[in-house]
Amino acid sequence: MMDAIVELKNLRVEFKAQNSGQGRKVAVKDLNLRVEAGEVFGFLGPNGAGKTTTMNVLLGFVNATSGSAFLFGVNVCEPIARQRIGYLPEMTYYYKFLTAEELLRFYARIFGLSRLEADRRIDQLLKLVELESVRKRPIKTYSKGMQQRVGLAQALINNPDLLILDEPTSGLDPIGRMKVREIIQRLKSEGKTIFFSSHELGEVETVCDRVAIINQGELKAEGRVVDLVEKHQANLEKIFLKIIGYEPQVSA
Amino acid sequence: MNTVLALSGVVIKEMCRRKDFYVLFVLTAVITLVMGSVNFFGDAKIVRYLKDICLLLIWISALVIAITTTARQIPAERESRTIFPLLAKPVSRGQVILGKFLGCWLACGMALLVFYVFFGVISGSREHEWPFLQYFQAFWLQWTMLGVVVGMVLLGSVVFTAPSSNATILFIVVVGIIALGRHLNQVALQQPEPLGTLVYAVYFLIPHLEWYDVRDLVIYNQHQLGWLDCGLATVYAAAYVAMLLFATGMVFRRKSLNL
Amino acid sequence: MRKPAPYFILVLLAAVCFSVATYLEPRVADWNKRGQSGSVLKLLLGDGRRLFANHFFVKADVSFHSGYYPSIFDQRKAPKGSRHMTAKEGEPEEEEHERQMNFLDQPKDWIERFGRHFMVTEHTHLQGGDEREILPWLRVSADLDPQRVDTYTVAAYWLRDLGKVKEAEDFLHEGLRNNPNSYEILFELGRLYYQNYHDIVRARNVWELALRKWFGQESGKKEADLLQFEQIAVNLGRLEEQAGNYERSVALLELARKASPNPAALQLQIDDLKQKIVVRPPPASSTSR
Ligand SMILES: Nc1ncnc2c1ncn2[C@@H]1O[C@H](COP(=O)(O)OP(=O)(O)OP(=O)(O)O)[C@@H](O)[C@H]1O
Ligand SMILES: [Mg+2]
Repeated sequence: MMDAIVELKNLRVEFKAQNSGQGRKVAVKDLNLRVEAGEVFGFLGPNGAGKTTTMNVLLGFVNATSGSAFLFGVNVCEPIARQRIGYLPEMTYYYKFLTAEELLRFYARIFGLSRLEADRRIDQLLKLVELESVRKRPIKTYSKGMQQRVGLAQALINNPDLLILDEPTSGLDPIGRMKVREIIQRLKSEGKTIFFSSHELGEVETVCDRVAIINQGELKAEGRVVDLVEKHQANLEKIFLKIIGYEPQVSA
Repeated sequence: MNTVLALSGVVIKEMCRRKDFYVLFVLTAVITLVMGSVNFFGDAKIVRYLKDICLLLIWISALVIAITTTARQIPAERESRTIFPLLAKPVSRGQVILGKFLGCWLACGMALLVFYVFFGVISGSREHEWPFLQYFQAFWLQWTMLGVVVGMVLLGSVVFTAPSSNATILFIVVVGIIALGRHLNQVALQQPEPLGTLVYAVYFLIPHLEWYDVRDLVIYNQHQLGWLDCGLATVYAAAYVAMLLFATGMVFRRKSLNL
Repeated sequence: MRKPAPYFILVLLAAVCFSVATYLEPRVADWNKRGQSGSVLKLLLGDGRRLFANHFFVKADVSFHSGYYPSIFDQRKAPKGSRHMTAKEGEPEEEEHERQMNFLDQPKDWIERFGRHFMVTEHTHLQGGDEREILPWLRVSADLDPQRVDTYTVAAYWLRDLGKVKEAEDFLHEGLRNNPNSYEILFELGRLYYQNYHDIVRARNVWELALRKWFGQESGKKEADLLQFEQIAVNLGRLEEQAGNYERSVALLELARKASPNPAALQLQIDDLKQKIVVRPPPASSTSR
């Protein structure tokens, strides 16, 4: 069997309860998940389901309470596991005093790109996310959507084999969303793997090969989008609502 | 190493684009020039008071720049969440610490150089001599000392939660060491026993930043320092920096990044 | 209704502030005495300025020693008073001072020993015109605390030494305006007239006044400032001797002898003078009070 790109084995993450002081908050409950090479994998769940937490484990920001996580077969504790990934955080501000170009050059240096290569990639990426005209302006002058685009560009700077995107389309205008979809599809055609979370179920349905739905840290459903649709005889949105146990108040 | 340099580049860019340094420099320059224009009994050859004031301002400014710049580095990364995309790259937390240290230290060095050039121009224009090597020694020692200060503040910034309290505490500690560190052994001898040993232990533990303050030698045109002494002082500071950075790395590795 | 423009409101508020300020100004001036003194520094620092003045006076002394100076931890060894600042080599004050300034003991540990490389460890005094470097600190000290007398005398001493007699005279006059009863300043002023201007008449007047001030303030006291008294009397005595008024001179030296820690030397001079009187009887006009 081929190595999975992302693999979670009995992953469990607990946080200290912040308010009451008693008991622990379980954010992810014994999660098992595999993402194979070349897949576009949608990670769905309501607010507070544990999506971001799972991704944080994959990136090494949060340590698993128990269980383990692997990227390219390497345990996520090792920094080298992150050489070939691109990551777009859910909410971020970048160094506000830098310009988009400087920010990308900084990240390029971290990946050890040569100057020439970095220049080429930066030009390419800024064109892709349509920030060419403002590349020399400090990021603090950007709108939220523009910052999101910078985020996307920095996630792609090292031409990663795996992209981890936490709600990549939030805050983008319809054209921006379409762009992101296009980018995802193009990367897929290049053979990259994409693992992303989203609340835009229509979007997920069009771009994803497989999805996983979690609720309160537990895996509720996993499978190919077409299989799920076939099995439940409904669109992804309906399936989602059903799985998380939401009963429509007024049924037609 | 490339990663560390890249990280330090960001810190330096930040300092260049913030106003703190310029404000402090202009303030120093203005006060010095105003003091320089005061006429004391019609004697134009009087210069040491001016060197004294200028160096005092430089010392204060350099400490303020070093401490404020360093204190906000890691808290700001966490607060604006820039630490997440950064650590998602193949960067270890140790490298982040090293990069931040190097950046702050180099930034301080650049700022300090500007200050010293100004000082050289002012004193040279009055005294008509440029003891270049002595000025260089003073600059180097102060810069070395700032390295230790940056290391201390960096450690403080991962230990204390609020950057402002960190900056205040470290400022008091550093000024305290410079003013009193030299005399702690004397104080220790005057204390009753358990306390005396404790004070003496503190005396051996703290980095003796007061050595690096050679203002008196510069102001009063005293002898130039031995290069060996400079070298030894540098080694001493480097040892403290290494220890502080190591401790910072250990604390930071365990630290949860969520606020 | 049209809203008033923000600038209009701003101007209005500024006008209110101004009128309140002008209305309150005369009242506030009475609230405390500070408001009446003209000096901005005085107003800002209040009585704390004495402390600062002392700081700068010490700073002048530090400067005089090129930074070699006991810290607060060697406080008991710190030089007391300001006499050493104007003492020449060989004078008794100087020896005492030399002992005081030997405050650096054997280093107690390697940290202290190594630290000595980075500081001034030799006891020297400024010389060769470099003494001018202490003047700014004295000037500032005098501005902060005009009632501190030794600021004026020390500064004037060095100003004269540097050949700035006019500046010294002005500074002493300034000191006198602030301290009309200071025999110390009067004495220094007399020295200036006598030694620099060779103006015996003015020097005599000033010194006589100094003696009277001294008697007025010190004579009854337990720990009277005998040293200064002796200096005034001796100097005035020498002046009278030079002027040929031997009797007055003898009377002054007798006075000085009573206050002197070393009366024998003065006694010799007195004897010397008495002989001169015998050899040459005094002129009729010698009764200059
Ligand atoms: N640092 C933390 N301390 C305590 N609890 C936390 C912490 N981070 C997350 N949680 C909790 O863990 C749970 C999962 O949070 P997570 O951010 O993973 O949700 P999510 O699925 O990304 O939601 P959203 O769709 O809103 O982004 C939430 O209940 C949250 O309150
Ligand atoms: Mg989330």
